[in-house]
Amino acid sequence: MAVCVAVIAKENYPLYIRSIPTENELKFHYMVHTSLDVVDEKISAMGKALVDQRELYLGLLYPTEDYKMFRKLHNSYTDVMCNPFYNPGDRIHSRAFDSMVTSMMIQVC
Amino acid sequence: MSRPAHRRPEYHKINKDLFVLTYGALVAQLCKDYEKDEDVNKYLDKMGYGIGTRLVEDFLARSCVRRCHSYSEIIDIIAQVAFKMYLGITPSVTCNNSSRTEFSLILDKNPLVEFVEELPAGRSSLCYCNLLCGIIRGALEMVHLAADVTFLQDTLKGDRVTEIGITFLKKLDEKKYRRKK
Repeated sequence: MAVCVAVIAKENYPLYIRSIPTENELKFHYMVHTSLDVVDEKISAMGKALVDQRELYLGLLYPTEDYKMFRKLHNSYTDVMCNPFYNPGDRIHSRAFDSMVTSMMIQVC
Repeated sequence: MSRPAHRRPEYHKINKDLFVLTYGALVAQLCKDYEKDEDVNKYLDKMGYGIGTRLVEDFLARSCVRRCHSYSEIIDIIAQVAFKMYLGITPSVTCNNSSRTEFSLILDKNPLVEFVEELPAGRSSLCYCNLLCGIIRGALEMVHLAADVTFLQDTLKGDRVTEIGITFLKKLDEKKYRRKK
């Protein structure tokens, strides 16, 4: 279902980025960058609204039913954050996070 | 004036995640403060000892256990009552020697390491849960039992289970008697 998964820090650099097939990686990196602009737009449009789980999702940039995928990703991300040896801002090297992303991407083929 | 014979009031449950994250922050900070794994392990044990000497009073007040007559009874109480009360798990018990002074507590699940996938690089000798060893050692000492408590197996080091070894040494009381002679 996914061809590229990226986790971006608030300073706009990637904490984790993976895509399949691996040939078009650069194209995906650019896409992630442009999508950051759309994210910024959406956030400024929301104004001072309280951010809850649903709104974190930003309704996705495309209208599809991938909320479950986002939730899985977000849960794995919070598990990574809870690791006391992980410093926020580090690249994500967690094996559990990797296998969760693999399981999401395998469904494409 | 009669004192009511009820136990201490029920403890308020706190969020497990908060407790686990607090413990993790403690270990992570010790790792930043001390370069050597042995030092971190030593300070975790020391802190645990301080907790254990105090926790045992709370435990005895809440649990109303009867006086024990053997080391195996004591270990059973630690596994089935104390661990259950404070960590919500019940490790299984094995006896490791025929004179019944060496025991092991086997933990299939260890709530303290829930968010820790593996030990960080360069920290392969770290005993992440060494606080537990100190707690058990301190608690036993307050009831006049000297024991060595160490980790024999650790899931963070690749073992299948976590095993805490408890070896009872000479009773502290006995030593006192000998000196008085």
